[in-house]
Amino acid sequence: MVMGTDGPGFSRRSLLRGAGLVGLGGLLSGCGSALAAGVAGTAPPGNTLSYWNLLGGGDGLRMQAMEQAYQKQHPKIALSSVVLAWGNPYYTKVSLATLGQRPPDVAISHLTRASILAQAGLLEPLNKSELAPYGLTGGNFTPAAWDMAHTNGTLYAIPLDTHPLVMYYNTDICKKAGLLGKDGRLKNLDDPAALTDALTAAKKVTGAYGGVISINSDTATQWRFFSSLYYQLGGSVLADDGRKIVLDEAKAEKVLSFIQNLVKQGLIPTSVDYPGAITTFATGKAGFYFEGDWEITTFQTTKTPFSMTAFPNVFGGRYAVQADSHSFVLPKDPRRTDAMRQKIFVFIRSLLGQSGTWAQGGHIPAWLPFQKSAAYDKLNPASNYKQVANYVRYDERAWYSGSGSDFENIMGFAIGAVSAGQMAPAAAIADMKSRLAQYANTPSPV
Amino acid sequence: MSTIAVPRRRAQAKAESRTTDWRARYFNWFCVSVLLVFAAIWVIPLLWALDTSLKPDAVIAAQPTSWWSSTWTFHAYQELFNIGNIQTWYLNSFVIALLSAVFAVVACSMVGFAIARTQFKGRRIIYGLIAAGLLIPSQVLIVPQFQEFNYVHLLNTYWVQVLPAVAVPIAVIIFVAFFTGIPASLGEAAHVDGASWWRIYRSIYMPLSKPAISAVFIFTFVWKWNDFLWPLLTLTNTRIMTLPVGLSQVGSAFGIMYAELMASAVLGALPLVVVFLLFQRQIVEGIATTGIK
Amino acid sequence: MSVQTIPVDAGSRARTAAAPNKRRDEGRAGWGLATPFLIFYVLFLIGPTIYGIIMSFFNSSLQHAGLGGFAGPDNYTQALTSSDFWQSMWHTVLFTLMTTPPLVAVSLMLAIFTDRLARGRWFFRLVFFAPYVVPSAAMALIWTWLYTPQIGLWDKWLTAVGISSPPNWLADPSWAMASVALATVWWTLGFNFVLYLAGLQEIPRELYEAAAVDGGSRWQQLRRITIPLLNRTTALVLVLQIIASLKIFDQIFLMTAGGPNYATRPLLEYVYDIGFTDFRTGYAAAASMLYFLVILAVSLVWFVASRRQQKGA
Repeated sequence: MVMGTDGPGFSRRSLLRGAGLVGLGGLLSGCGSALAAGVAGTAPPGNTLSYWNLLGGGDGLRMQAMEQAYQKQHPKIALSSVVLAWGNPYYTKVSLATLGQRPPDVAISHLTRASILAQAGLLEPLNKSELAPYGLTGGNFTPAAWDMAHTNGTLYAIPLDTHPLVMYYNTDICKKAGLLGKDGRLKNLDDPAALTDALTAAKKVTGAYGGVISINSDTATQWRFFSSLYYQLGGSVLADDGRKIVLDEAKAEKVLSFIQNLVKQGLIPTSVDYPGAITTFATGKAGFYFEGDWEITTFQTTKTPFSMTAFPNVFGGRYAVQADSHSFVLPKDPRRTDAMRQKIFVFIRSLLGQSGTWAQGGHIPAWLPFQKSAAYDKLNPASNYKQVANYVRYDERAWYSGSGSDFENIMGFAIGAVSAGQMAPAAAIADMKSRLAQYANTPSPV
Repeated sequence: MSTIAVPRRRAQAKAESRTTDWRARYFNWFCVSVLLVFAAIWVIPLLWALDTSLKPDAVIAAQPTSWWSSTWTFHAYQELFNIGNIQTWYLNSFVIALLSAVFAVVACSMVGFAIARTQFKGRRIIYGLIAAGLLIPSQVLIVPQFQEFNYVHLLNTYWVQVLPAVAVPIAVIIFVAFFTGIPASLGEAAHVDGASWWRIYRSIYMPLSKPAISAVFIFTFVWKWNDFLWPLLTLTNTRIMTLPVGLSQVGSAFGIMYAELMASAVLGALPLVVVFLLFQRQIVEGIATTGIK
Repeated sequence: MSVQTIPVDAGSRARTAAAPNKRRDEGRAGWGLATPFLIFYVLFLIGPTIYGIIMSFFNSSLQHAGLGGFAGPDNYTQALTSSDFWQSMWHTVLFTLMTTPPLVAVSLMLAIFTDRLARGRWFFRLVFFAPYVVPSAAMALIWTWLYTPQIGLWDKWLTAVGISSPPNWLADPSWAMASVALATVWWTLGFNFVLYLAGLQEIPRELYEAAAVDGGSRWQQLRRITIPLLNRTTALVLVLQIIASLKIFDQIFLMTAGGPNYATRPLLEYVYDIGFTDFRTGYAAAASMLYFLVILAVSLVWFVASRRQQKGA
């Protein structure tokens, strides 16, 4: 190991040192408060409200508009909103920030994930008497969502909406296929044969496919489609907070065979990713599209002649459809004062009051004063499926389940393999069971 | 135009056959052209980022892949500075990198001196332990270290970045090697004259060790400035983030505003590129002699 | 990382006759000078390492203080039988296989060519090394923009030369890893380049002159003199590169977030997900330890090989 000789490095290094000190001095005087925060971990000044969310695309724009409206009403509060990419990384960030004792004041969370965060002790319990003055009471929210916002009997979240899987259909194609009634509404498809027939009819019109469901790299959509059908058969996957796997093989096989049949008849494409599925539907190569309600603005932008309706009750049991909800949560912060809590509730109430803006994105607003209003009824097709809000099924509770979780990945991966024609239903079920067992046998870390 | 670096060959060139000379010249041409092609490839991404950052968003939307724009603007940069986070991130990165580098130089040179120049009992074991530490990548320790800092409530402070960056085995190795290269008689003479070991270290060895100090300083500084995984885990508050962690967030904030995205990339890249321009020789020599990565 | 054994007691023989009390004084001074470092070393390196090893045998959770229930070897057996673990381990190895050969070979070639120049070396050194000091986040922003489908620069160039449907670089599972690897070659090549340039400077010019007098061609010079004499540098570059590539996290996390659908998730991101999303720190520690073993194996292979090389020389 030979070091360089002592050369001109000396004078240049002194230069660096000098420049560094000058620079530091300048920065110090300019950013004293930031420096103090770094050294001692002091809190930011009291008039700020930090808000984290995971809303991108059109949802992100609508949320920004709602934030601006809030800001206009409360100009003295400096609202700082941080948008992070959705999925596991978002929840990781929220957890890390809460553990690091610098959480945002309020954050958006899916209800299925809020339940896990709450069990992990990362959320602040909400006191109902404290919420009442702001009108944030159970009577003002979709009952199913309000119910899901509780974990072990305690309220931890305030629901913003419900976003179920829905059925998009191309009105031109369906009309040509004879699927629309005289009132211009889609015929009832509440039967496996009826749905298959409708897809076949649509396929004849498009010359390509009957319907489309995103498959490639998209475990979530596959899970949404499968679970809705499976729940309609009365099935369950997890029990006892995820410690037991109760997957009903006969029911799962029935659903997977149904999907396999659609594939075999060429009614849905076997290799299509999320954007590809959108393009397929938007360009009229498929008459039906199955996805969460949030693509409404996409097809409005592409001027696709389309409408939306509730996912059909294919297997005819008690109606069920997979869904999740966005909600507001307060990450645990030992320094949060009552005054701060009040400020947060005002903020939440302000955003809920703008449910009309939010509902344009397709989500069913959880705020009943708006959900029951005539204004919402006029919002077509966004309010066509509002009745399902109380029949939705959230992912069953477990430390590894919820939107974007390992659970959805495991299930969606196996289902996707069937949809892609790469795996037989029985093999897919075996795959689900063995992979889920690993998680079920692990003691819950929360 | 570049020529080959073997000037003395010139004298012999006449003695050689013409064909060799021609071949050599062609080979040189070949080398230079290959280098220029690669250099062009290497420069383009940075230039393209700079180019994009100076165009109005409307021009980018209309002609995203055109190098030319009818109007140029600093709007994207203004926007970034108005939001105000980037100044804070610069400050945080600078303070963290500076404190880490200073502490690492002091602590590592002291122990390096002790190992190289004093005969304390157990120094071989200590040195062995430190050398063994080279094998432990810091990435392996993220889980236990996170728990440690969580337990003492130091997450989201500078200390969570600085404290683990003080004891760097490679820095000790560098100092031991360097001090071993300085004649022991220097220190012994001073010791006979009654100087304390601290003074020998402080006033004799350290002033002679500028190259080692600058190597350790520069590399600790660059390492902490560019560090990503650990700050990503431990700095979650926007006001306390370092530059790389902050930049990793602007992607989702700006979405498809490419001028702003590229302006933040340029601002992120700029400080160290400038430092490298100023201290090219020291940095390159430092790498060549220590191989710190 | 380039440790060579250093004679620790180089100056000691001269002082064998030192008085015992002087010895004691020296011992105290030595320990005193070593203490600050040792405190930090124990608190932030040795301590966490031991704690990590212990934790890997418990069902530790991010949410609960203490170690949690004893798990025995469960965490290890679960990792070793988990397809996700092996998948991410494979991605780490795959990334290493994709980046190491070009990063070693191309930097060697460029260094040899640059070394032949009499003037303008600084220019190429600057150009090739500059990307290396760019933070990973800035690099990821730039390359994500270059890779953007349709409106990115690469797609424009490819369509210009007649490739009408370029791959969807970062979003296509079969291209994503290669795309990140390519960006990484651009980003870190300068480091190896500089190491090679330094290695080349140490080759005595006379050797080339002698070869030239003997009438050896350029190619023979390269094969018989340059490359063999660079063996030690190459060994160093190779091991540093393998270890650096095995540590892949930043670029993938920033450019693909391990996606699409986990098709690029490296082992460190797996640890990150398990430890900080699932809160399973015990299991994450076990996965880290298995990963540590891989790095350790690479280091030891290099260590033994370079020892043998030194003895042989």
